[in-house]
Amino acid sequence: MSKFIIQVNGSVYGNSAGYHACRFARAALESGHQVIRVFFYQDGVTHSNSLLAPASDEFNQYDQWCQLAEQYSIELVNCVSAALRRGMLSAQEASENQQAHWNVTAPFTMGGLGELVTGIEQADRLICF
Amino acid sequence: MKHLCIIFRRAPHGTAHGREALDLAMLSASFEQQITLIFADEGVLNLISEQQPELVGARDYIATFKALPLYDIEDVLVCNDSLTEFGLKRSVLNIDAQVVSAETITARLREADEVLVF
Repeated sequence: MSKFIIQVNGSVYGNSAGYHACRFARAALESGHQVIRVFFYQDGVTHSNSLLAPASDEFNQYDQWCQLAEQYSIELVNCVSAALRRGMLSAQEASENQQAHWNVTAPFTMGGLGELVTGIEQADRLICF
Repeated sequence: MKHLCIIFRRAPHGTAHGREALDLAMLSASFEQQITLIFADEGVLNLISEQQPELVGARDYIATFKALPLYDIEDVLVCNDSLTEFGLKRSVLNIDAQVVSAETITARLREADEVLVF
């Protein structure tokens, strides 16, 4: 059994990175492996946008992450700097930046690149998408 | 401690890949990981001196490459084939880096625990 950390760099729409990352995570967990956390960096932070509203007959990547997080208690962590640059704010960053709105809520959380690096240290393997 | 290889493969400024790769490199080094930076393909263009990224609305992260020794990042490799492809001589590089063959890069990737491509 292995310990994985998964990094998602590709945008939530128009890029298959998230789909493959989520499928990989699920397959690993179903096979009894451990996933320390999923870390979102670069355009990957757009996966945490709770305002995503694809048509009802379209694939909803956001829902897939929420289901994965709930079923397996997986941490979904954004790089906060990458997120802020792309307009992804939790209630706390909205307050700190005097913004009236925010779009990042649980199960996604804001963290630092340090959480990626400490995750890499603990994991047997980093998988990037 | 893990040995991370961070590869710069894309040209600077047109996308944020280079800047975010450098952020990760410095952060990882401050968390006491062993870091190797590799510049290959269009990524070698990150190292050309006298760039003015502000003129295209981009942040001048290029100047930050000079701070790599302060983070104890001294293992910096540049692909010689990529320099040749772009008609660049090693004298255009704005930092102290080793210009190496593709074989040397392959060998270094085999030694690494993890490889991150930007």
